[in-house]
Amino acid sequence: MRELLNGRIEPGKGPVFWIVGALLVIGMLFLPGLVGRYTLLNFNSFLLMVFLATGLALLWGFCGVLSLGQSAFFGIGGYAYGIVAINLADSPWASLAGVAGGIVAAVVFAALLGWLTFYGHLRGVYVSIVTLVVTLVIESFLNQTAGPQWKIGTAHLGGNNGLGRFSGAAENIPSLTIPTGGGNSLVISGSSPTFYYVLIGLIVFTYLLLRALVNSRFGVALAAVREDPDRAETLGYDIRLLQSMTFCIGAALAAMSGLLYVAWGNFITPSVFGVTANVLPVIWVAVAGRKSLAAAILGAVVLQWGAQQLAISGGEWALIVQGALLVLVVLLLPEGLLSLRQQFSRMRDVRSNSLKSQSRQG
Amino acid sequence: MGDIISFAYQYADSFALLALSSIGLVIIFGMMGVINMAHGEFMMIGAFGASFGFQWGLPLSLAIVTGVFAATAIGLLLERLVIRKLYGRLLYSLVATWGISLVLSQGALVLIGPSVPSLPNPFGTVSVGGMNFSVYRLFLVALAIALIVTLWALMRFTNFGLHARATMTEPDMAEALGVRTTRIYMVTFGLGAALAGFAGAIFGLSAQIQPTFGAAYTPIAFIVVVVAGSRNIIAGLLASALVLALVKTSFTVGFNILTGYVAMLVTALIIIRLSPTGILDLIGKLKALASRHRSSTKGTSAEETKNA
Repeated sequence: MRELLNGRIEPGKGPVFWIVGALLVIGMLFLPGLVGRYTLLNFNSFLLMVFLATGLALLWGFCGVLSLGQSAFFGIGGYAYGIVAINLADSPWASLAGVAGGIVAAVVFAALLGWLTFYGHLRGVYVSIVTLVVTLVIESFLNQTAGPQWKIGTAHLGGNNGLGRFSGAAENIPSLTIPTGGGNSLVISGSSPTFYYVLIGLIVFTYLLLRALVNSRFGVALAAVREDPDRAETLGYDIRLLQSMTFCIGAALAAMSGLLYVAWGNFITPSVFGVTANVLPVIWVAVAGRKSLAAAILGAVVLQWGAQQLAISGGEWALIVQGALLVLVVLLLPEGLLSLRQQFSRMRDVRSNSLKSQSRQG
Repeated sequence: MGDIISFAYQYADSFALLALSSIGLVIIFGMMGVINMAHGEFMMIGAFGASFGFQWGLPLSLAIVTGVFAATAIGLLLERLVIRKLYGRLLYSLVATWGISLVLSQGALVLIGPSVPSLPNPFGTVSVGGMNFSVYRLFLVALAIALIVTLWALMRFTNFGLHARATMTEPDMAEALGVRTTRIYMVTFGLGAALAGFAGAIFGLSAQIQPTFGAAYTPIAFIVVVVAGSRNIIAGLLASALVLALVKTSFTVGFNILTGYVAMLVTALIIIRLSPTGILDLIGKLKALASRHRSSTKGTSAEETKNA
């Protein structure tokens, strides 16, 4: 277990890394006591995107598959949560069934799409384009579902108004609800400290789990596929299976974000499938450093917070700044801000004449 | 009879739309291996430029030329500043141009506003045998065919075409033989941007011109380009647009516009599933299959896997 957590693939190890990480998490636990409910509501919306970002980092940074359509799974997870939860509205298990439904729907869809692309021997930009086009098609499909005939059970899809109370439909999407026995249940609204603690817990859990995954033999195989798919295949790895599995894991993570988003705001619209929704996770992951799960987590939270500060002060400039940031990072620091640290430590290693530094690159 | 004419008219219209919206992208992707996610934004710039030109009092044709110039200028500038540094790095070029697309569309929104005055559409309708046809639509069809033929002639008969084809197939060897490949790349990118700007200005004659104007065309153009492949970009474009337009029109007529769109996507997926290098190789494979029992040796090597 120690080896899995402190392995070679995911950067960051040694006591300093773990102590700083633990202090950061403990520090975060005090936030709800320090800020108002509105700030917490915002912060929750940033934190819930972390799963989407780590899923993309896993796919792009660790497996070399750049999916531009992670929003497809985000949206499917969100819509499925809403549809299931609305249909089971009377049951205390509605919300948890929605969670399961959201993840299952996204993974099934990812398996299908993965079969079409990876088993169709598509690679590189072709996968990127297919994933992007698929989510845009879903967006245009959902945009025309305004009529009363477009409903699943009791849930009206609502066209471009989307699902939930904002669509003008009578049905409301329930918040995250956990039955506590004896007919009682705990309702966790999007602005509550409980929602925040649940998110922090889930993020820590997901991070450790994914860290163990990428440091395992599976992760080493992914790195082989990323570096040279043909060679990996020659060496006996089933690259299509590895890519499809990673694609499904990435989809499950994106769906997690999507259903938490719906549980947070109690609504979802087709715009979550749009181009802007797809480009933002790519910006977070590319800027922070796609080859690290921790960087993806920090990137998602910090950049969303920064973008919101910009949006408050500078209106529509926020997207321009983020787009320009993406271009600059690709040109100057192709591995993201994280590579600054690696470059620094390489300089230090070279100075202390260590040969180890060479093998860490890659 | 009327149904057949109506179908042919719609088919030609879809073909023109697909060919015009993707021709600039096909050149850049096919010749340079760069995925230009800002393609739709170049179209938007073309339409904006044309609208401004028209407001300055230029005649419509010159206003369209203004739009083409605007798109070309921005294309060349971006080639020098960004794209040049990303040759041969497909995924990076894709991500960087996506950032550029965000900057351009959002920049247009902030600097110019949510919309600019539309261009007048000088074309009327023509009536043949009791059926009305939009002259503008017929003009688009003629334009698409003319552009494809011109491009083919450019590649086939000019010095630039020769150098460009050499650069495309063997960049290192072309360079060694004295072809200035960086200049070829720059001109190619400029040409792609110019064609995108031209298509944008022409489409602007019948659509509302806004910063998100191009975004609708980008995915369609990508579908056409992926199906076209990069073996022979002009024949690929022609085959891809003809086949996809046929599917799109059939399903649009049979069901509705969205079904047509989805059917086109599914067809594209099936084609690249069968032949990842594009429709020409698929046709080649089918031909080889058909001629096998005629003991002909006419097979095509469908190896060359496109790698990132």
